[in-house]
Amino acid sequence: MKKFKAFIKKIWITISEFVRCKLSVWIGKGLRFIGKYTGISWLYKKYQKVVSNKGKKAIAGYLFISLWLIGLMIFAARPIVESIRMALSNYSGSRIIDGSSTFIVEGFGFKQFAQIFKDNPDHVEAILSTLLDVAVVVPLVLIFSLLLAILLHRKLKGIKIFRMIFFIPVILLSGNLLGYFNTYNLLTVSQLQSSDLQNLLTFYLPTQVVDVIINVFGKIILILWFSGVQTLIFLAGLQKDNKAVYEAASIDGANRWEMFWKITFPQLLPLMTINIIYTTVIYSNTGNELTSLISTTITQPDYGRDYASALSWILFGIEIVVIVFYVMIFKLANRKDK
Amino acid sequence: MMEKQFKKKSLKKFLFGHRGEAGFIGKFFMYLLLIGISFIFLYPILKMLSRSFMGLEDLMDPSVIWIPTKFIFKNYVKAAEVLNFWKSLGDSLKVGIWPTLAAVVSSSLIGYGFAHFEFPLKKMWMAILIVVFLLPTMLMSIPTYVIFSKLNILGSLKSYIYPALTGFGLRQSVFILIFYQFFKVIPKELSESAEMDGASELGIFLRIAVPMSIPAFIICTLYSFVWYWNETILATTYFKGVITTLQMALSSFEYTYSHSFSTGSIGIGAAAESFNQGVLFAGTILTILPLLLLYAFTQKWFVESADRSGIAGE
Repeated sequence: MKKFKAFIKKIWITISEFVRCKLSVWIGKGLRFIGKYTGISWLYKKYQKVVSNKGKKAIAGYLFISLWLIGLMIFAARPIVESIRMALSNYSGSRIIDGSSTFIVEGFGFKQFAQIFKDNPDHVEAILSTLLDVAVVVPLVLIFSLLLAILLHRKLKGIKIFRMIFFIPVILLSGNLLGYFNTYNLLTVSQLQSSDLQNLLTFYLPTQVVDVIINVFGKIILILWFSGVQTLIFLAGLQKDNKAVYEAASIDGANRWEMFWKITFPQLLPLMTINIIYTTVIYSNTGNELTSLISTTITQPDYGRDYASALSWILFGIEIVVIVFYVMIFKLANRKDK
Repeated sequence: MMEKQFKKKSLKKFLFGHRGEAGFIGKFFMYLLLIGISFIFLYPILKMLSRSFMGLEDLMDPSVIWIPTKFIFKNYVKAAEVLNFWKSLGDSLKVGIWPTLAAVVSSSLIGYGFAHFEFPLKKMWMAILIVVFLLPTMLMSIPTYVIFSKLNILGSLKSYIYPALTGFGLRQSVFILIFYQFFKVIPKELSESAEMDGASELGIFLRIAVPMSIPAFIICTLYSFVWYWNETILATTYFKGVITTLQMALSSFEYTYSHSFSTGSIGIGAAAESFNQGVLFAGTILTILPLLLLYAFTQKWFVESADRSGIAGE
């Protein structure tokens, strides 16, 4: 093994030496020669720029990310283009030509989108309810993860055990598990959803507000289960707090409430953007009405891949709308403070 | 007189705290809150655990809430049989481990490329990195399925490993960004001095950057493993019929169950043999058990990951 390593190293060193010294000099000489007799001296100048330290670094950087660039061509650019093509086609799917089935894409237009919005009102309903669902859950996840992070940041005995419990969902979260929780009514602690509570609330508050509150109670476990990684991120932000700032504030007579809003919260604002993006992407991809609709329509002969592609672009649209909306809100709120 | 006042004060201090330190009452409520939230967190899992030991009578009986009248361990035996547990476990491990290794190696290289070098169009590539993360998995999986069937790598682990090797595995943008954050804080002086000594870029990466960011490797390995383990939709589209992970077996649990048990046992025991929550939940517990075991040993890395990963440093 050691010998092999030494061997590889030897080869590597010779090659790199060769590239570094000989090859670059040769190319430089060649280019200067060409430049002299044809008048294109800019080629030589450009080459010298590349060979300079900065240029070398840039090339090395591109070499390191070259794997990713290859992947971008194969596993991202092509699927994206084909997905757009499929979503905008009249028909795409397999058809039997000369005895063997081949995948074909036909026509160009907004037929699939027209089909979604004109012919299938139940699918439009699924889209709207998914949008509403994501738009309601995302801010709640953010609020809860912020609260959990503040709670876990306290220095109490045994806080490590609670941290361990709070982050169990991070490893267990899967579409399957959430699906079963949903079908078997495990996402609500039954005591929290009793009709007594609802009656009590309706007595004091308007019905619309009560509906929202009851809805949130119904989703409380879901929300908590989705807030694991976000809590970790907020917790990391809290742990970077500077103690001296708090001491100075307390000497100036600030109470805890003021300290939170004036010192802690502004520090966490930049993390909000990351968390909004993360929450939206994860929540809208882990088993909701639209994703299940997409996976069922792929195989159905009436709809097929083209229809499912169009639906998945709508899902992407939902993500973008939600992210932009909440990021804008936080940016505006931040500006007002200043 | 003085003593009395002092006692009163210290009692007050004990109960209500002072100078930012929480007092007894504050702490009491804090623990109450923590325990309550822990209960809500674990509620669905605990409920599943308790119901997984119940027979049909207990499941139907509304007076039995948490503790079954009779513990039925047969549920687990049956569930393991339906899941084809050991084979599925092996497949799950395979699907978890190999793509994870590929993903960690490639993301570390890519992350280093982004963190350590300045090159034209860098900002654009990083923006694309994030946009790729935003694209729904369903959106990508539909055309990718067609591409994979043309490349003839459907039904084998390659359909997971190839994208992971090139930085397009499951949520791999996150790992690339974690590595990016780690490598970015390595002081430039270190790599510069190594360069003076004649080390190559790859040598600097292997000898300086990698040893300094072991935590990043551990964090990314764990998260990647868990995410690959839990992925069901992609696994079903790519591996259907060839590789069956635990999650895939779980998602078709009811179907498999009805085919393997119900047909054979028409007669007296038929009611008890029919599909029930107890067996399903036993199956669910079996699929998450390996993850819980992993978590028991590595929870430090999951919990402390954020402080070390420097996600907050942006």
